[in-house]
Amino acid sequence: MRPMENYSKYYKVIEDIKYGRIQSATEATLAVLRTAVRFTEEARGVSEVRNFLKHLFFKSIEARPTNALLINVIRGAILSIKEAIDLNDMKRLREVFNEYYNEIVKEIKVMNDAIAKMAINRIEDGDHVLTYSYSTIVMKALKLAKDKEKNIRVYVPESRPGLEGLNTARELERYGIPVTLFVDSATRYFMKEVNKVLIGAEAIAANGAIVSKVGTSLVALAAHEARVNVFVLAPTLKFSPETIYGELVELLEKEPESFISIEHMHKMGLKINDKFNVKVPMFDVTPPEYIDAIITERGLIAPQAVTFMLREIYGWPFQFAPLKELLGD
Amino acid sequence: MKIPEAVIKIADDIRVMRIRGASRIAQAAALGLKIAAERYGGNSVDDFINYLTKVKEVLENTRPTAVSLPNALSYVMSRVFKRYNSGAKLKELIEVTIKAAEEFVRYSRTATKRIGEIGARRIRDGDIILTHCNSSAALSVIIRAFEEGKNLRVYATETRPKFQGYITAKTLYERGINVTLIPDSAVRLIMKKVDRVFVGADAVAANGAVVNKIGTSLIALAAHEARVNFFVAAETYKFSPTTVIGGLVEIEERSPLEVVSEEFLKATRNVIVRNPAFDVTPPEYIDAIITERGVIPPQAAIIILKEEYGWALKDYMLRVTSEMEEVSL
Repeated sequence: MRPMENYSKYYKVIEDIKYGRIQSATEATLAVLRTAVRFTEEARGVSEVRNFLKHLFFKSIEARPTNALLINVIRGAILSIKEAIDLNDMKRLREVFNEYYNEIVKEIKVMNDAIAKMAINRIEDGDHVLTYSYSTIVMKALKLAKDKEKNIRVYVPESRPGLEGLNTARELERYGIPVTLFVDSATRYFMKEVNKVLIGAEAIAANGAIVSKVGTSLVALAAHEARVNVFVLAPTLKFSPETIYGELVELLEKEPESFISIEHMHKMGLKINDKFNVKVPMFDVTPPEYIDAIITERGLIAPQAVTFMLREIYGWPFQFAPLKELLGD
Repeated sequence: MKIPEAVIKIADDIRVMRIRGASRIAQAAALGLKIAAERYGGNSVDDFINYLTKVKEVLENTRPTAVSLPNALSYVMSRVFKRYNSGAKLKELIEVTIKAAEEFVRYSRTATKRIGEIGARRIRDGDIILTHCNSSAALSVIIRAFEEGKNLRVYATETRPKFQGYITAKTLYERGINVTLIPDSAVRLIMKKVDRVFVGADAVAANGAVVNKIGTSLIALAAHEARVNFFVAAETYKFSPTTVIGGLVEIEERSPLEVVSEEFLKATRNVIVRNPAFDVTPPEYIDAIITERGVIPPQAAIIILKEEYGWALKDYMLRVTSEMEEVSL
């Protein structure tokens, strides 16, 4: 086995996810998978791959436990390479892993394209669309709307902590879509001017609740109050089958330093101790009653119909391997 | 007669928010009139009145939303005019100006303290409180409750774009109160743990709607959803008499540079960055307004307005009716 320091370039992806350098759930998932495949290409033996993958998969999920796509894709990866690993067949391992990777990339693209196409049926000329944080699929849908010559304006809260809204605004600007940017607090103020909300998701639970960037539930609440429709754009790969068994989606918190600089804190005369703390949640949960529809590659559904769709995918009773078991030993 | 430098400085400080918060602005404005009177070098009554009116306008045209500013100014000016109309001499008018200004500042300070005493009764031992921005009236309530020996924990929103939440956190922390900073977007996530919300006000309208720092209405909505009590702490000079005759409270929009960097603005010319400083919380989300005269339901705002500004309202009404007569002629 090669010395550990050579692994560092492969482990960089974990840090990138952990510290939000890769923000989108889809991009994070593909980055992990790409790293896994590249390592498999370069590794000498099956046992080295197995040890590495166990560590990579475990750590990347730990870095972003909410990401259902990541969990589902890793589950698929393990199932597809399991046989080759058991047979200790390195050549076959590389082949199936490469195949799986290409398949997933294609599948995600096909799914996202299908979702974007359905979503723009709901976008009308002259719409004021609000989106929150950064979502790969929502960006795709908005670009498609623009390509179809629908004149829209997009309202974008900056989305602290993380400020993904700035990236969203920059990218929309490149597409030639006019953008109105404001602080998260101003969401209710501007909701009156908005007639549709499009958001992505980290994970969708069995009851149709959506796990997304923190602040999403506040946006959905303000939309609900103003009778503005909320659409969630997400492939069924983001449905979390674990939640069927009652597992809670774990909500990640960030280190205070990622949110407020230590120097700034000290300059203010503040120090984290038993009397002063900074809480930096990354995600929150939007209840299904504030969501008008989830647009999946299999069609537009009510959030309450998620269970039904999970049955369609995983059968009834559910047949899927819990990841904990797969990663367990 | 030139307006003294010191007065120009106060006006600038209010404009660029070196002096901020509705109570502090009101006190500074009264102080501005006092300084102007003290430094008056002319010798005619009419000239003094013109001069003081000009000073008043300079102070008034700094920020449009906080109604405490015009109210503080008219508190002093109405007393000056009353004496002027009854033929007072210059020396007397200067004295009246100084006295009235000092009286207002004293009144303002007592009022904030009194609000603390009244509001603290609404806090129970062990309460978890959420506050937004940096309100001296709301802080007065929290600090008073703590001094009465109640065990408290406070969540302070960081309050984008200008981060006044850090000042709140620091003030509470220095008093020994347990405080946690959160991003504005985490309000709904945190609301489940909160027992009571206390915020200040920049203006209270005749129907009981409260104009306060941007984000307040979103917090009120989240509190309402979670059945958490929402209190506004506001001195009576924050009630807006002009709203009684249908006037709208103007919402100030400040520079985009408070939200994003200059580079961002330059690079994204199609992105409009909007920065409203305030929003309006409807009365139905407010459990009570705590004034120095007692706790009132927001819908009773008109009672305070009639009591405090009866004279001014009569004036307004007369003006409106005479204008109407002119129109009908």
